[in-house]
Amino acid sequence: MARMKFICDAERCIECNGCVTACKNEHEVPWGVNRRRVVTINDGVPGERSMSVACMHCSDAPCQAVCPVDCFYKTEEGVVLHDKDLCIGCGYCFYACPFGAPQFPQSGAFGLRGKMDKCTFCAGGPEADNSEDEFRKYGRNRLAEGKLPACAEMCSTKALLGGDADVLSDIYRERVLKRGKGAEIWGWATAYGKPEQKPAEQPAKTGEKS
Amino acid sequence: MKRFMTGLCMCVWLALCSVAPVLAADDLASEQARRQVEQPLNNAPVWKEVRSGQQNYTSVRGVDAGVLINPGGQTWRALRNGPVTLYGGLIFCVFALAIGAFYKIRGKIMLSEPKTGRLIERFNSAERIAHWSMAISFCILMASGLVMLFGKHVLLPVIGYTLFGLLAQLCKNVHNFVGPVFLMSVLFFIVMFVKDNVWQAIDALWIRKVGGLVSGEHVPSHRFNFGEKTWFWLGVVFLGLLVSASGLVLNFPNFEQGRLLMQQANIVHVVSALIIMTLSLGHIYIGTLGMEGAIDGMKSGYVDETWAKEHHELWYNAAKHTARHSDEIQRSPDTSGSVART
Repeated sequence: MARMKFICDAERCIECNGCVTACKNEHEVPWGVNRRRVVTINDGVPGERSMSVACMHCSDAPCQAVCPVDCFYKTEEGVVLHDKDLCIGCGYCFYACPFGAPQFPQSGAFGLRGKMDKCTFCAGGPEADNSEDEFRKYGRNRLAEGKLPACAEMCSTKALLGGDADVLSDIYRERVLKRGKGAEIWGWATAYGKPEQKPAEQPAKTGEKS
Repeated sequence: MKRFMTGLCMCVWLALCSVAPVLAADDLASEQARRQVEQPLNNAPVWKEVRSGQQNYTSVRGVDAGVLINPGGQTWRALRNGPVTLYGGLIFCVFALAIGAFYKIRGKIMLSEPKTGRLIERFNSAERIAHWSMAISFCILMASGLVMLFGKHVLLPVIGYTLFGLLAQLCKNVHNFVGPVFLMSVLFFIVMFVKDNVWQAIDALWIRKVGGLVSGEHVPSHRFNFGEKTWFWLGVVFLGLLVSASGLVLNFPNFEQGRLLMQQANIVHVVSALIIMTLSLGHIYIGTLGMEGAIDGMKSGYVDETWAKEHHELWYNAAKHTARHSDEIQRSPDTSGSVART
């Protein structure tokens, strides 16, 4: 069985927010809920990098660990899903999640948050696949239809990839090889000396992105 | 001990990481700009920045949406699921068992002389309302809070997901609405009782004799003895306000406070709640099962003269001078508020 994963290639993401739009459209999520977002680090500064981020479907998921009602579960494909019928809207998953994935439809006084909503890797919820209930609570179940997550499918630069981890690794490995800047990607220049020490060996151009 | 120290260190770290990102962000941004030229594709400064918890740019709106990686989450998880739940639960259970053992060994503390039948007013109705509104809201918060912290480990395996889900939902909502009631009653209680809970010279005697708890001897005191004063200052004032203040941070997410503040508030809330709950077991025990006649003062407002003399002798002596006794008071209840106290 495949282990489903996301990867976002920081060298490719152009912050178009296509993934965010695709996700909202696919699942018809309520206003204010963003299952996926694009964060730009050092915005406007040379060397800025953008990353699309959502639930990463962790192996040891912190949300699952802290949930007081144990409403999270993992599918055979490693996708972390939750049961909205059990969720009490306490917000603990939001405190614990490294990626800021859990979203709440409301934010009111007296801890009013509503049921948590998050990226499902387009795999729905505990209800019957592609049922009306499932769509209303969790959005479309593309995995059950034999499709991959809408965000990754939509990505114009294929920075965001989602699917079988082995396939994704192969794609990313090939990209790294083709970028041809080898050692520096692994940080060897940082560890073993600055490029100025051997300027002749450094190629003049800044490297082609593939 | 080692795990306790780890927990302590993590607490300090959790507090520190609120200031750390401010220091690092600018340096890392310029380092990344330099790296882009010197070693393109090596984004080490970016990945360091990502872990700092700083707000970056995002077009999506939401609390902490600009933070790519939430740095405190793992620490909060480790503390809450680890030492806080484990040791908090253990201490609560051990204390409950210790009280049970104390009851078995020492038994109920009885009055040494027979009751006189003459009653003396100890708490007026306003004071009793202050106490009981606090006590009742406290018990509701305790029960619902325990369900939310330990229910997953204790109740869920017994009653199943559907039932526990409903119960937890109920507990969460009740907890959130009763919380502010508790805070109000704590404030009311403090105003009502602070004047009788200041240090008095006789308290030194109580400390020396540990309240006569072991020897069974009666130590004279004013209206409240040093044990009650400790419970007032430590339990009600310090822990009561701490648990309320941290609870408000969690109860009103509509002010868009960040995750770090809520993680810290949650740890403060759970730890102070566990301490106050544990200590309250002692207070509830001595006020009901543990001592003959103690509940009367809070139930009806009146205590027997024998009880007053044995447990609060100085208060009794002073009250006897000025107070009219129950037979008079019961005839004209309107004047009951004028009963003088020390």
